[in-house]
Amino acid sequence: MKLKYRVIPQGAADGAVPLNWAFIDKKDICSAGLTDLEACKVVGKDFGDDCAAVNIMDMDAITVTSDGIIANGAVVGVASVDHGMINKEFGYLNISEIPFSQKMLDEESHMKLWLTDFYKGRKLFRGPSTEDRGDRTSHNENMTMTGRIANNNCGSEVMNMVEMTEILAPFFGQYEIMTDGEVIIGVAGPVVSVGIGMIVSERHGRIFGGNNLGAYRAGMTAHNSGVYAKTVKRDYPAIAAPKSVLAEYTLRAFDIGLVAGKDIGCSPAVLCLAKAYGKPIAYENITARAWIELESVGITKEFLQSPSKVMTREEVIANADSIIPGMEDAKKYAVSDICEIRYAEI
Amino acid sequence: MKLMHTRLPDFYQKIKDAAIKLRPNTGFEVKGLESFKTAKLASLRVGRVEDEIYEITQDESVKKVEVIIVPYNPETHHTVIIKGIKEDGTCKKAILENMYLSSPTAEYELFDVEEIDDRRSGNRQ
Repeated sequence: MKLKYRVIPQGAADGAVPLNWAFIDKKDICSAGLTDLEACKVVGKDFGDDCAAVNIMDMDAITVTSDGIIANGAVVGVASVDHGMINKEFGYLNISEIPFSQKMLDEESHMKLWLTDFYKGRKLFRGPSTEDRGDRTSHNENMTMTGRIANNNCGSEVMNMVEMTEILAPFFGQYEIMTDGEVIIGVAGPVVSVGIGMIVSERHGRIFGGNNLGAYRAGMTAHNSGVYAKTVKRDYPAIAAPKSVLAEYTLRAFDIGLVAGKDIGCSPAVLCLAKAYGKPIAYENITARAWIELESVGITKEFLQSPSKVMTREEVIANADSIIPGMEDAKKYAVSDICEIRYAEI
Repeated sequence: MKLMHTRLPDFYQKIKDAAIKLRPNTGFEVKGLESFKTAKLASLRVGRVEDEIYEITQDESVKKVEVIIVPYNPETHHTVIIKGIKEDGTCKKAILENMYLSSPTAEYELFDVEEIDDRRSGNRQ
């Protein structure tokens, strides 16, 4: 019996991908009769003497991006594998389902997207429960580590700690990988570096928030590092979905009345989409620290408040590449051209 | 009670002695604690390590013992002490900061190992 999995191998995308990143469909794990951890071990052995980050994907579930936008699919487990090994305490991280509750909707307004027809009734996975985190202490991120590989923030940034390389994959890019879509691969650049720090407040979020709502809410910057925020992830390669995909999902939030900088994050992408779509921006709710970071990449109040043509949904999506800033030297790839389908012996 | 804890230099001597106890020509190397100049270690644990080093030399094919010490939790939390030193060598001011480090786990040292006997306490899986 064999287990199917996908891998973006080291060297893919004209050499832009610095390390192996494997993706296993939860359905294939269930079909093989394995636990998630067992599946990671099977994939780890299939890499032989090599190393890889591993994400387990439930394509029937939903998750939430750092902008606070609900996405189809979810990472439900992550692992780091090296020479077929998985560190016993820190090499694997389960991500438990988060049950629906009115309390969540009251506390986390972006989660109202869950009630829309796109996502209603689907299972939600974001970050690990306290039990999932196991031996990780308060200073530990939601990260797995084995040998050379670290898989951080519930499977959205992975590192080789010996070669000291790193690559990012915002979730919509991972969804494209799983569905044989298209991705853009390039250097994150200063705009993405600023944007990924502008998160929303969540209990058991992908990056922050254990049992509490975390220290950061929409309109704030978790990087909180002034003009240096644009340098934090600037040089790292990233695998992202085409900008039209990001636009499509973000417009769904605007369509139900969620406001940029108040209900959802204040990243350059969200703010520029709000401007193009003619939707309100909670200027006063965006903190001074966040404005410093936004202005450092050219996103000023003057720009956002300047007159511009309000576009329809179709126009915004069609013009997403020019509306949404970010990613440098980005090149579009068909996933089928950079992703290998492999079958590991169980 | 003075035997409860072992001085760091004594630890180094004890583990070297354990490595060459059976065959004096056994090679020996220890690494991982280079930044610790002074420390005290739990003596019972030092004793266990001594016994395990002696045990591993029972195999005649073992010609060298390497002792490598890495953090149990590979994402370590550090305090950074930034000191401004005056000409007379005294410190004018110190600033303390937090820093986190993600470094290779124990597995990085185990790639070519034929048999792993994990005796650590607290293993969850």
